[in-house]
Amino acid sequence: MKRRTFSAALGALALTPPAAFAQDKPPVIRIGFPNAGTGGRPLGGGSYTANAHHLRAIDEEFKADGIRVEWKFFPGAGPALNESLANGLVDFGFGHGDLPVLVGRSTGLKHKVIASSGRGGDSYFVVPAASSAKTIAELKGKRIATFKGTASQLTLNRWFEKFGLNDKDFRVISLDSDSTLAALSTGDIDGTVRAPFDLEARGVARRIHEILDDPYITRPGTVWVSDAFEARFPQIVQRVVTRLVKVAHWSTLDANRERQYQLWATSGTPYVDYKATWDRARDLRDRLNPLLDTYYTASIQRSIDEVKKYKLVRRDVSIDGWLEPKYLQNALKELKLEDWWPQQDADGKTVVPGRKLA
Amino acid sequence: MQAATSSSHPIAPAAAAGGPAVRAWIAVAGRWAAGLVLPALLFGLWLAAVRGQWAPEQILPSPALVWQSFTELWQSGELQDHLAISASRVAWGLLIGGGAGLLLGFAMGLSATVRAYVRPTFDVVAQFPVLGWVPLLIIFAGIDEALKVSAISIAVVVPVAVNTLAGIANIPHTQVEVARVYRFKLGQVLRHVVLPASAPSLFNGLRQATMQAWLTLVFVELLASSEGIGYLMVWGRQLGQLDLVVVGMLLIGAVGVSLDVLLRRAESALLGWRRVAF
Repeated sequence: MKRRTFSAALGALALTPPAAFAQDKPPVIRIGFPNAGTGGRPLGGGSYTANAHHLRAIDEEFKADGIRVEWKFFPGAGPALNESLANGLVDFGFGHGDLPVLVGRSTGLKHKVIASSGRGGDSYFVVPAASSAKTIAELKGKRIATFKGTASQLTLNRWFEKFGLNDKDFRVISLDSDSTLAALSTGDIDGTVRAPFDLEARGVARRIHEILDDPYITRPGTVWVSDAFEARFPQIVQRVVTRLVKVAHWSTLDANRERQYQLWATSGTPYVDYKATWDRARDLRDRLNPLLDTYYTASIQRSIDEVKKYKLVRRDVSIDGWLEPKYLQNALKELKLEDWWPQQDADGKTVVPGRKLA
Repeated sequence: MQAATSSSHPIAPAAAAGGPAVRAWIAVAGRWAAGLVLPALLFGLWLAAVRGQWAPEQILPSPALVWQSFTELWQSGELQDHLAISASRVAWGLLIGGGAGLLLGFAMGLSATVRAYVRPTFDVVAQFPVLGWVPLLIIFAGIDEALKVSAISIAVVVPVAVNTLAGIANIPHTQVEVARVYRFKLGQVLRHVVLPASAPSLFNGLRQATMQAWLTLVFVELLASSEGIGYLMVWGRQLGQLDLVVVGMLLIGAVGVSLDVLLRRAESALLGWRRVAF
C-alpha cells in the first residue's frame, strides 16, 4: 500500500511539468545580508539596502503578485552568504564586502553585480581602555582581532600598510563582531578596527587612530543577483532593483536621516555610533550611492589586486563580464534619478556632481 | 578474502608445502586488504559525487584539488608548522591531563578514603562535555594558549581517570591476597600486582584520551586562533577553500591512526605475555 502511494507520487512528479519553469514569477525571492544584528538578530543597519528590509519595501512591491520575500541574515557574514549561494539558497546579495564577494567569484559562484550598496565612511583603530598604546606600531607582536574572510580583513591589512607594517608583525586572530566586543572589554585582544563612540562613552575602549573618508581605505559594497535567478526572472530583477533605487533615494534625503539612524540602531549597534559616523556625511548621497561608476570598478580592481597579493584566492578572478548595469540604468531612468547621485573617478574625486538640492 | 588471496597467489602451492611463515604473511596482507576496502569504497563515492556534481563544487572539492593543496602546503612547510603547533598543544594537554588523570585514578582506586570523598564529585563532573567548559574557561584562561591546553587537559582527565580506576577495581582479589601472603610493601604491590593487572585498562584510557585530545583541539582551534590544524580548517572555510578543510580532516585522521598504532605497539611490547582470544 505504502509502496503504491509512493510510486503514484513519483509518477505524478514525473508527469507534472516543473512548476517554476511554467510560470514567469518565482514563489519566493530570497535576499541575503552578509551580517546580522547583535546576538544574531535578523536586522541590519548602515546602508540603504538595510532600509529596504526595515521599510518592507520589496515585500510591498511583490505583495499583489503573491510572491513572498524571504530575508536572510548571516551572522557568519560574507563567507556564510557565499556558502548559501553555493547551495542555491539565496537569489540576491544585498551588500557583499569586497573580499568575500571576490572569493565567491574565484570559486566559481555565478552571480551578476547589479548595484553598489554604498561607499566611503570612516575607520577607527581601537584599543582596550586600559591599554597604554598610542600608535599601531606599539602593538607589534600583539593580538589584533578581525573577522577573517570578510571585508574587514582587507581593511585591517590596509591599516597595517598605511603605517608601514604588515599582518606578519601582529598576531591576527579571527573573531566575529560580538566576540570582538567581548574580548575588547576583557582585554583578551589588544586592538581592532571598529566604531569607538559607544565604547568610549562606556569606558571600555578608545581609538588611537582614525582615517576619515579615505577612498583608498574603504571599498564599495556589492549588490548581486544569482545567474540562475536572473536568467529565469529578468523582469523580477528589474522590479527589485527599481524598488531598491527608490529606497536608496529615500535614504539620501536629509529629512529621513534621523529616522534612519533609529531604524539602524534596532540591529543592536548603538545609535551614537551611527550618529557620530554618519553626521559627518553632510550629503548622504556621498555614501548611500548605488552607482557602478568608475570609482566602483577601480576600487574592486584594487581589491582584486590585493586578494591576489595576499594569496586569498587560489584561482584567477576578474571583473570582466561580471557587471550587469542595465537594471540600475533602467531604474534611474524610470525614477528620473539619472543625475541624483555624484559620480566619482578612480581616486574617489567627484567628476559629475549630484543634482543640486533645492 | 584470505582464501581467495592465497589460492590466486602464484607462489601459494610452493608455500603451502614451504612453511607457515609465508601463510602467516599472506594472512596479514589479507587483513590489510580487508581494512582498505571501506576507504576505497568511500573514495569511490567521493569521486562519483564530484563527477556527478551531487554537491556544488564550492562545497565538495575534488580529490585532485585536495591532493594539490596538500602537496602545496606541504612543500611550503606551512602544513608542518600548523601540525607542529597542534601537536604541541595536544602533547601538553595529554601530559597535564593524563598526569592528573593517572593520579586521580590511582588515588581513587587504591584508597577507600579518597574514593569516599572524591568519587561522587568526580562522577558528576565527568558528565560535563568539554564544550560545556569552554565559556567558563574563556573567562578564567582568556582565549590564548592557556585556553587550548586547559580544555584539552580537561578532555583527557576523565577517560584516563575512569579507565585507571576500572583497571584497579578489576584486579582479582586473589592476586592481592597472594601479595599479602608474601608481605609485599606498597611499592612492590604497585609494581608487581597493580601495574601489570591494570595496564590493559590504562592503555585503553590513554588511547581514548588521545582521541579526545584531538577532537577537543580542533574545537578550541576553531575559536580565536591564528595557527594550528583546526585554524587551517576554519580559514579554508572562510575563504571558500573547502579543499583545505578536507586536507585538515585527512591529516587529523592520519595523525590519530598513527598515534593509535604507536600506543598499540607500546601496549603489546609491554603486555606481550597476555594472550588475546580475538
